[in-house]
Amino acid sequence: MVVAGRRRSIAFFIALGIGLISVVVLLYIGWVLLRWHTGILLFLGSLLFLTIIVGVVLNTTFLVREIRRNEQHDAFINAVTHELKTPVASIRLYLETLQTRPVDDIKRREFYRTMVEDSDRLLSTIEQILRTGRIGSSSRRKLHLVPISLSSVIEECLERTRALHRLPQEAIEYRPGPEVTIMGDPDEVRAAVANLIDNAVKYSGSAVKVLVETEAVDDKFVSLRVRDQGPGIPKMELKQIFKRFYRVPGPLATRVKGTGLGLYIVRSVAKRHGGRAWAESEGPGQGSTFILQLPIVKLTK
Amino acid sequence: MSRVLVVEDEQHLAEGLRFNLEAEGYQVQLVETGEAALEKLTAEAPAFDVVILDVMLPGIDGFGVVSQMRESGQFVPTLILTARGYPDDVLRGFAAGADDYLTKPFDLSILIARIRGLLRRREWLRAASAVPTGEPAEPNGSKDVFTFGEKSVHFDRLELHVRDQVFPLTLMEANVLRYLIEHEGQRVSRKAMLAKVWGLHEDTDTRAIDNFIVRLRRYIEDDPTRPRHLLTVRGVGYRFVASPAG
Repeated sequence: MVVAGRRRSIAFFIALGIGLISVVVLLYIGWVLLRWHTGILLFLGSLLFLTIIVGVVLNTTFLVREIRRNEQHDAFINAVTHELKTPVASIRLYLETLQTRPVDDIKRREFYRTMVEDSDRLLSTIEQILRTGRIGSSSRRKLHLVPISLSSVIEECLERTRALHRLPQEAIEYRPGPEVTIMGDPDEVRAAVANLIDNAVKYSGSAVKVLVETEAVDDKFVSLRVRDQGPGIPKMELKQIFKRFYRVPGPLATRVKGTGLGLYIVRSVAKRHGGRAWAESEGPGQGSTFILQLPIVKLTK
Repeated sequence: MSRVLVVEDEQHLAEGLRFNLEAEGYQVQLVETGEAALEKLTAEAPAFDVVILDVMLPGIDGFGVVSQMRESGQFVPTLILTARGYPDDVLRGFAAGADDYLTKPFDLSILIARIRGLLRRREWLRAASAVPTGEPAEPNGSKDVFTFGEKSVHFDRLELHVRDQVFPLTLMEANVLRYLIEHEGQRVSRKAMLAKVWGLHEDTDTRAIDNFIVRLRRYIEDDPTRPRHLLTVRGVGYRFVASPAG
């Protein structure tokens, strides 16, 4: 997918280069042919000159964008390397320990639990990457649309997140709105919801206080709002964070591990289902709210 | 008991490392950030013997930690343990001042062997700086200075004064020189020097000593190609002469 994007930009630059050269040639021929028509020459000259300037500006813009994309790609590779290798390293370490050292029963059980958690983490990273490949690529995979109860998906994700991070019930509060049914691909909707809840917990640090609520908007859409008391998001980054591989630069990105794929998946899933996803934050330190809006099929109440 | 500082923010790995290193008989301290590691290294006594350092840490990364350590004169043997294994990363690690580099996932026995290697090297250095057994090593009073001809060796400052010139000596150069001076006039074999100065007893290549001698001659001798103080005893080793006749 990335390679395709690069090829496209390379093709674009070649086309732009050819375009610019032909403009220069045209300008030259024009000068020879139309030397005596000073007025027309002046007009044509300024027109072509402007074209060249626009071309150069465009060229620079795309070049900068390409470099930035490369940087993000590198950061992504680093993050994925880390996310894939760390759990493997941990599992391997514990297996070797069990193999080579006498370990008492309590420790042994603790080690098994650690390894299960690590393999879960590994699996979720792999799934995240595979899912990005599926929904992001141009090969439009067909959605398996079935009626889903949103609240049961949310409940399921909440249970999973609580278990994974060993959180008490009150750490994540759930305020369900009206019971709604949506048409969606259960796997994708679950992934989107789980990503939002996981993010809220991950970025909260040690004091997790997350509010999850749903509400119907004009009987057409249902909004899932996930609010956390975490570090918040600078205004300029609110849109950027939904881009593929993007992570807000700074120490937070190293403290909270991630691949930069989660929100991209959320937004892609929303779009594929005819909905949308966005973030709101009063700025750094103020916490943030993520909203996933999906169309309602019917209101059951 | 050797003390190991583990700088790792992945809790599972950190706990696994702690368990294994303690089973090996080391005393283990865990910290999660580079800042905490630097603080521990400067504040804590007795000093650590080995540092195991992750690269992707919150705050300053592992490369930053090791280069700051080296800048502030902390020369604790440091092993970088990271998921990043590209040649560029490895080179960056060594350039920052790491002593060893191991990529995750790693083999437990290899990690432990490498830690042992670092500790062993530290022990040798310690033995060498504590200096040869036998007679007390103060040839010229308590100031630890040995004077011969117009030259004097200041062991305490690791300096060699030749007339008005001053050459800095490395610790090992000073130790080699000290050993030779203590056996002034006697033949000293390369094997004995290896054993006493380096603390090595295995069959090691003894040519490293020749390099030290070449360097020392450059400082001491007026004409290094025709040495008068540091003489070669063919087939055996060397002999130091403080005041050569003629």
